[in-house]
Amino acid sequence: MQNYIIRRSILNIFVLILAATMVFGALRIDSDSVVTQRAAGCFTQGDSEGVERCKEIARQELGLDASIFEQYWDFMWDLSPLDLRGGSPSLDWPDLGLSFREKEPVIDEIAARLPASIELGMLQILVALIVAVPIGIISAVRQDSWVDYFLRFFSIAWLGIPVFVIAVFWVIIVGRWFGGTIIADWGSPVGDYKDFWEDPIANLQAMAAPAILGGLATGAIVMRFLRSQMLEVLRQDYVRTAWSKGLKERVVVTRHALKNALIPILTLVGILLGAVIAGNIILENIFRIPGIGFFVTSAVAQAPDFPVVQGVVIIIAFTLVFINLAVDILYGWLDPRIRYG
Amino acid sequence: MAVEGQATPTEGEAATEFALPKQRTMRQSIWKFIRGKPLGAFGVFLVLFMVAMTLGTPQLTDWDVPNLPDRPLGFQLGDPWMSRYGLEDKFYTVEDRLAQQESPSADHWLGTDKNGRDTWSRIVFGARRSLFVALWALVFATVVGTTIGVISGYFRGSLDTGSQRFMDALQAFPPLIAIILIVTINPLSGDQPNLIVIAVALGIVGVPTVQRITRSVVLSTREQPYVDAARVIGATDARTMRYYILPNIFASTIIVFSTGLGVAILAEAALSFIVPDKVPQGASWGLMLSEAQSFLVEKPWMGIASAGAIALAVLGFNLAGDALRDVLDPRLRI
Repeated sequence: MQNYIIRRSILNIFVLILAATMVFGALRIDSDSVVTQRAAGCFTQGDSEGVERCKEIARQELGLDASIFEQYWDFMWDLSPLDLRGGSPSLDWPDLGLSFREKEPVIDEIAARLPASIELGMLQILVALIVAVPIGIISAVRQDSWVDYFLRFFSIAWLGIPVFVIAVFWVIIVGRWFGGTIIADWGSPVGDYKDFWEDPIANLQAMAAPAILGGLATGAIVMRFLRSQMLEVLRQDYVRTAWSKGLKERVVVTRHALKNALIPILTLVGILLGAVIAGNIILENIFRIPGIGFFVTSAVAQAPDFPVVQGVVIIIAFTLVFINLAVDILYGWLDPRIRYG
Repeated sequence: MAVEGQATPTEGEAATEFALPKQRTMRQSIWKFIRGKPLGAFGVFLVLFMVAMTLGTPQLTDWDVPNLPDRPLGFQLGDPWMSRYGLEDKFYTVEDRLAQQESPSADHWLGTDKNGRDTWSRIVFGARRSLFVALWALVFATVVGTTIGVISGYFRGSLDTGSQRFMDALQAFPPLIAIILIVTINPLSGDQPNLIVIAVALGIVGVPTVQRITRSVVLSTREQPYVDAARVIGATDARTMRYYILPNIFASTIIVFSTGLGVAILAEAALSFIVPDKVPQGASWGLMLSEAQSFLVEKPWMGIASAGAIALAVLGFNLAGDALRDVLDPRLRI
């Protein structure tokens, strides 16, 4: 197990270096357009000489005037949390450069917006589990009854229709027919977003609709998977033994079957956790949650802000890779039959 | 039936006993498909309807038109199928330009937008653009992903490990943000947004999925006796891959292609919806939805129309892809 963790971590670092190299290469494919983007604000004089000077300054700021190997070397050490360049090793946060618009370190801007995204992702997973676990159990235990068919239809419908289409219809319906009621208070996009520690109620009001809509979409996946897992577990010998001991249905289902059916669900939830934190761009935009997705969108919308997009991509890639590792380790710990060789 | 004790079966009976199963006519097979897989048939219907919408939509120059070549996939697509929105001038007369944000009527089936353009016509144009981007994205993803998948699955070893880590790195990027990154750099066309760039961006993001599925199928295919036989008769590696492995993984490639189309259509719409300034302007479902977003509550029709079009297209391709998988290769899991 320890060997496995060490080997996976080394592989992960390799994957991350590859990913960072891809991002590095992405900037160099067409560095001129990025330089133009950076220099866009300084084009006021209009003469071509001034434009050239602006571009020259921008190129220096972005570090594009050094040789490609020097650039790569600096880029990688900037990203790494441990910096060995200055003679003595020093610990620092990954340096992602300054954003074009705010002229602030990108890492700080991301850190300021990460909590909203994480909160929304957590709430969605919570909603997904609250809805999906009972439904998955019921529809497995009552397989092929009308309850099962109804619940499965519900899940297929949520899987088939993209969540941002559902969100648009939600906004229309709430705005037209529930204006001024409590549903509108809790379910429509808000103008000014409040931090959770500042004003929990207002924060949850803003979060409620995207959390529920996104959570149901995630829950549909969890529910289908849990149902098939439960059906498999319910046919195992030890469940039959539990029945023949005369245990109550509730005990057999929750204590014997559910416990084992939930283990693979954990992997799924781990993967989904990464996906919802990174993948809420659209819901964040519709419901005006100032998270990472909203940040990326606004960075791209008017004037392209390359360092911001690059920084968000790198940070999320790092997070996803390590969430996957954590899930694999947890999985092996919960289910001792799994051997990592 | 030749039952014992029945000494001499008549000629007619013997003939029926050895007759081949009756060949189904085209109509009977279609009917059987509809009966057996009603949801799949519904999906195929939606896909065919969308394709029909794209057939021969004319190139208009006056109003907002999709920024597309005249022959979208390199060949002539036939005569206009929906003549109502062919060369008719219904939505570019002055009265119609003044008819802004109307509700649906007999003239404008889905109402009009803020410039008085007919929403249904723009949906029809948008279908062409969606299909264009999705098809080229999937062509890119399938060609690149299948090539890498076949080579890495066939040779295994360090080549395989290397390409798998490469795919891991590619998959570490959240898909939509990676697409936005590529579109922001926009290497091909300078400042002008370009549909080809979007298609390639969607394709790049799709490569790891295609590669993984292809590789897993190749890993089991290469252990088949006929691959050994090919090696025994002295076929080179390239020849084995081209003539013995590739034809046998073709079913899975088709399935990956068809299921991917729905995802690509959704991703294109999502991209146009969240970064409307970074994609080519024109009739696009995602752009229409993003335009409709600011007055969604007062004038919901454009939002309903474009969101409905996206939902139906994605649903159609998903259902059709599932049915295709059941028919071609039920064991394949995607």
